[in-house]
Amino acid sequence: MATAAGAERLSPLQSLYAEFIDTFGNVLFAVSLLVVWGVMTLIGVVVDQGKAPAAYFNEYPAELARAILRLGLDHIYHSYEYVGLIGLIIVSLAVCTFKRVIPARLPPLRPVLVDKIPLHAFIEARGTEEQVRARLERFFAKAGWHVRRKLFNGVEWTFADRHNWARRGVLVAHLGFVIIAAGTTLYWWKGYQGEIAILSGQTARIPQNGDLLTVHSFNYTIKPTQTRGGVIYQPVDYVSDLTATSPAGKTERDLLRVNHPLQFDGIAYYQASYGYGVTFRMTQAGKPVAGVPATPLLEGDSFPLGPTGRAIQYTQFVGTIDPKSPSGIGADPRPFNPGVVVTVFDGAQPIGSEIVPLGHAVDLGGGYRLEPASYRLYSGIQYRHDPGIPLVGLGALVLVAGVCISFYLLPARLFVRLEGEGERWTVGLAAQTPKGYTMYEEQFAGLVAALQRSEEATAT
Amino acid sequence: MMQTLVTIFYALAVVLYAAGALTLFAYFLWRKSWQVAIGVPLAIAGLVAQVGAIVSEAFATGWSPTSNLYDSLSLFVAFTVLLFLIFARQYRLWALGGFVLLISDFFLAYAGTWNEGYRPLVPSLQSYWLAIHVPTVVAAYAAFMLAFCTSVLYLVKYYLERGHSGGAGLTSMGLQPAAAGAAAGGSMAMATLVAERTGNTVQDETPGLALAAAQGDKVAQWLMGIPSLAKLDVITYRIIAVGLPLLSLGIIMGAMWAKEAWGAYWQWDPKETSALVCWIIYLAYMHLHTRSQWRGMRTSWISVIGFAAVIFCYLGVNIWISGLHSYKV
Repeated sequence: MATAAGAERLSPLQSLYAEFIDTFGNVLFAVSLLVVWGVMTLIGVVVDQGKAPAAYFNEYPAELARAILRLGLDHIYHSYEYVGLIGLIIVSLAVCTFKRVIPARLPPLRPVLVDKIPLHAFIEARGTEEQVRARLERFFAKAGWHVRRKLFNGVEWTFADRHNWARRGVLVAHLGFVIIAAGTTLYWWKGYQGEIAILSGQTARIPQNGDLLTVHSFNYTIKPTQTRGGVIYQPVDYVSDLTATSPAGKTERDLLRVNHPLQFDGIAYYQASYGYGVTFRMTQAGKPVAGVPATPLLEGDSFPLGPTGRAIQYTQFVGTIDPKSPSGIGADPRPFNPGVVVTVFDGAQPIGSEIVPLGHAVDLGGGYRLEPASYRLYSGIQYRHDPGIPLVGLGALVLVAGVCISFYLLPARLFVRLEGEGERWTVGLAAQTPKGYTMYEEQFAGLVAALQRSEEATAT
Repeated sequence: MMQTLVTIFYALAVVLYAAGALTLFAYFLWRKSWQVAIGVPLAIAGLVAQVGAIVSEAFATGWSPTSNLYDSLSLFVAFTVLLFLIFARQYRLWALGGFVLLISDFFLAYAGTWNEGYRPLVPSLQSYWLAIHVPTVVAAYAAFMLAFCTSVLYLVKYYLERGHSGGAGLTSMGLQPAAAGAAAGGSMAMATLVAERTGNTVQDETPGLALAAAQGDKVAQWLMGIPSLAKLDVITYRIIAVGLPLLSLGIIMGAMWAKEAWGAYWQWDPKETSALVCWIIYLAYMHLHTRSQWRGMRTSWISVIGFAAVIFCYLGVNIWISGLHSYKV
């Protein structure tokens, strides 16, 4: 009734605020948000992300594919729902931290009913009250406890705290999470990334900041290795000899390898991939056809098949054509007997594909002949400008520190009260921790046993 | 030569773990001290043989033996057995050894099916992070597996105890009414666990179980030999308290490596996101463990679910889902 009466006195705004704090400060609510986060994240693991709609229709029954696309499950991590959920978690985390964790973790000194606390003990002690109290305080201080005294209604209590500072561990961990979120937000706000394919010997410009990248040469190493499953052709190294030039004229030349990015002009450049650019020639009745790019095409690029409305796609580079293989593609990706897979499209519909050896022409019908003439290696370079990285790193460090403090240091408080008179006293001792009583049971038993031995030794 | 050594050590470890599992499983059933006296040295010998296999593999390949599923599963088993030996020594958990070694041995035997022999490292794995990130994450998985075993033991004991205490009237949350605190003797009267409904603890043995054991009920006597539910809950918490920071560190270090290799610390790769799901589950465990009414049976179930998620992340994603981690680590 008192609560109801209290609630009635609140203005609508205050009432809303109180309700907000109650909801977002509730651990079960926070855990519910975590569960939803986990489920949504899991959906993104199971459902391929960022694929073309056709890929979902190929992989799933049509109704399921439609549901995936309609619900936005194909880009769940960048959906408003997902980002909003993380926002809710951060709000919940902040409210829990300031309204629940801090008040609960840093309790004021107060008297307790010793025998009502599950971890409690009573020990007989001899001497005057002051002697006993001084002895107890020496004992606890020697064992690393921080001892304080306080009077409550004329009754003196002794309090001892251990790892009191570690009560802030959860706060530190939550703070780390918030710093990581801030760093990530900074990237969304100010950062950018992209990938660019540069043919050997060519220069390209990064659109966002105007840096020029020149790939002088690109090389890769493939090491054929005999395994129990057969010979594998594993790339063991790929490297671009690269020069970066900023709009201000600053330049830097570097050998760009996987795991060894180049930091230049506030951007990190990465060796991401490589491939073969192929130059095509197309003729009709022996005459060159207009519209075929003169520059090498990259895998996935296409061009129109004259005025037919159809298109030719350079689908895949084949290092070694192997007529014995069912697909015609040999296991060795090195260009020993090279060719390309070309696919003809009618609109968005593929109507046929074929492996064409390099330097040979294929008849496309209607007098059209297509010839992959030559190839050149290209280097796939990824770039990223992320001003949030220092914050994310700091946040991760703080998060781990907080988690370790919370898990490995158990703060405990002892409540000590003396009852008796003259030279005979009963020491009432109770212990509380923020993680419950069971967690401290063994240590408390050990502490009590040690205290008892100490008192018995004093008595004798 | 080195590959032969790897094979010999590997086979030896499989055999020793199997023998240790059988002996400690016998201890689980019959509680004879000689079974521990034989089973534990067998487990230690198996671990030594496995470390021999891992070291030989490192010498044979010239890099950290963490580059494929065989390597990482082998490391996972070694960490699991090591953690088990540490926790079992600390908390007298030898009865759990049969299960831990049996599952470990299964994983080690399964690892063998992924051993393709020497193959060179792909460029993205040619990093010092390989020797840091993978063992950290795998150690976390090992801790979660051990926590899974203690949680299953908790649940087995919990449901069997419930049967022996009549079930009715006891809470479904792992809390039991008034398990009397034991007086610790002398002038010290220490109520170890006064588990009232409002108490901030899980229960110790149930009175019904103690009574049934005193009346000669074999199952009750057997249950009394297993660590109490309260202790199992604390042990599970402490094992997860080892695993969760390791997983956090592993994810963070993986992000740092990803930034060096792929240009972004987080790419929503299936492996990354499924590791995040595991992290979220164990984070939920830790949060719920702060609430007395959730501690015990419910948190044990969360630990079981968490380990299912770990297996999905570790094996399911590697084997069935392609992504940036497709080199089967």
